[in-house]
Amino acid sequence: MLVLTRKVHQSIVIGEGIEVVVLEVRGEQVRLGIRAPKDVTVHRKEVYQQIHDENRSASEVRPEDIPS
Amino acid sequence: MNDTQLFDTTRFGTIGYTDADVVLFEDGLVGFPEHTRFLLLCHKAESPFRWLQSLDEPQLAFLITDPANWVATYAPCVADEELGRLGFVQSAPRLVYVTVTIPAGQPNEMTLNLAGPIVIDLERQIAVQLVLQDETYTTKHRVFPQANRVSAVAA
Repeated sequence: MLVLTRKVHQSIVIGEGIEVVVLEVRGEQVRLGIRAPKDVTVHRKEVYQQIHDENRSASEVRPEDIPS
Repeated sequence: MNDTQLFDTTRFGTIGYTDADVVLFEDGLVGFPEHTRFLLLCHKAESPFRWLQSLDEPQLAFLITDPANWVATYAPCVADEELGRLGFVQSAPRLVYVTVTIPAGQPNEMTLNLAGPIVIDLERQIAVQLVLQDETYTTKHRVFPQANRVSAVAA
């Protein structure tokens, strides 16, 4: 993993057209601004992971358990 | 083009379908990007449940339901911009579904994933699973009251 140190209002650029700006650091929380092309989706990882897990669970439901 | 084709599924046996029945998820579902072609199947007559059966993998089917059946107030904030990018047309009729999780043998523990709705454009037969940005809805929305709470009331 590439590790970089940034200050508030500094940013990093990823490839063509993706920019991540550090907006604010307050205690343990960091606010980030993300500029990306429309076809690039940006998600909080834990939400994305939870939805992935729910999809997997939904594919493992046994038909006999479905309420009628 | 409208010839009936057959597909052998693990759960539902052999299913006949035409090209017009195929729902295309260009991005797949979250965590399943390689599966893009699905059929929307009824669970049983009159049942609020449907299955999204993959046409790429016989054993892959997701249990889904119309959230309006369970959460009357469900109104996720969906950016038309995001749907437009995928080819959705604002005026076209849409269906919204959510995935359903039921732990084996515990139907009472059923939950709905309200944070990742599936939206289908009925005219174009294209679909997407959204990841909602706001935190109003959870991935594990309980539908039935908790069993221990019910027994506590009974006792």
